[in-house]
Amino acid sequence: MLQSVRQMNFKSGFLVLCGLMMVADLWLIFQVAPTDAVIGDVQRVFYFHVPLALLSFLAFFVVFVGSIIYLVKRSPAADRIAYSAAEVGVVFVSLALLTGIIWARPVWNTWWTFEPRLTTTLILWFIYAGYLMIGYAAPNRAKGAIYSAVIGIIGFIDVPIVYYSVVWWRSIHPAPVVGPMAETGSLEPVMLNILLVSMMTFLLLFIYLVMERASLRRSEDDFRAIRLALRRASP
Amino acid sequence: MADLSLQQEATPHASNSGKMMVRFAILGVVVALALGYMVYAAFANDLYSLSVTEFTNKEDAQDGRMVRVWGKLVDGSFERQDNSTVSSFRLRDDESGAQLAATYEGVLPDLFFNPHSEIILEGSHGHNDVFQTSNILVKCPSKYEGLESASLNPTQ
Repeated sequence: MLQSVRQMNFKSGFLVLCGLMMVADLWLIFQVAPTDAVIGDVQRVFYFHVPLALLSFLAFFVVFVGSIIYLVKRSPAADRIAYSAAEVGVVFVSLALLTGIIWARPVWNTWWTFEPRLTTTLILWFIYAGYLMIGYAAPNRAKGAIYSAVIGIIGFIDVPIVYYSVVWWRSIHPAPVVGPMAETGSLEPVMLNILLVSMMTFLLLFIYLVMERASLRRSEDDFRAIRLALRRASP
Repeated sequence: MADLSLQQEATPHASNSGKMMVRFAILGVVVALALGYMVYAAFANDLYSLSVTEFTNKEDAQDGRMVRVWGKLVDGSFERQDNSTVSSFRLRDDESGAQLAATYEGVLPDLFFNPHSEIILEGSHGHNDVFQTSNILVKCPSKYEGLESASLNPTQ
């Protein structure tokens, strides 16, 4: 009991911290960040788009690791974390696609175009939407966890493909500003700092959402176990 | 309480699991075909996305099929008559110096004239070697800079 109260306090504290960071991040993005010389105000979408996309990669990496642990050890906790990260990851990659669309209309002169980065990202969306769905299509919860773990491992192949797509193929999408293929100096220092704050903010939000979702999933599993035990007890 | 959560449980589906597997297999094949087609549509066709040099050197790219051609706008090549939306201009390949004449009817994108932009024309080979553009896309370099800094370093 005491432990769960302490856990609640920790979660509420984390949530408040997330909220404060988000307000500060919005202020930085819309008040402090300079207006881009070429692209104009639309460039501010970048401070949402880049962290969302990168954190969806992190989310799918968590799914990948959690899926391996689940297949090796059959640990329900690993499955719950992997599933929760996949849900948050799908939300983040959807938002990355939407913010990309907002950028593309004024800058590229189109809402959407089938080109390497966009197509591989759309495939990523489908893979993890499939991950979320297959659990419900399986005959039981344990089988569903195995099916989704397999998708969680194989599907991760697409993440490096998405990242390197702009390097490997001719792509309208700008080159990476973060990670191994990033060019130094592609961002003005103040823009880079705000991007880093924004990434921290979204990282905290990601951790919070995965924690909440995993504990909710734990409750769902407990509920299912109780229902099963009751059904067995009273034929 | 003990973590029973993922224990096997009997569900109404359990007796139909053979049927379910068939459905899964069909669904899997459909999804795989759809994804495969998307990958194919995006880049399997090597004619799909070409530089100006590749386009001018490739005979079979000039048979009227839709292609994307990448290049930079040649300074001073842009022309448009008064009260007309038909414009003509040339694209250049910076590496080889090859050029391509093109026409386009419609409103030009905002960043078309930016010297750092790469222009992507969607269209096909037309009469007199003039590229018939049906759609224009603009690629901006991944270099971001505030208005003030840009005015301090005008060479950038």
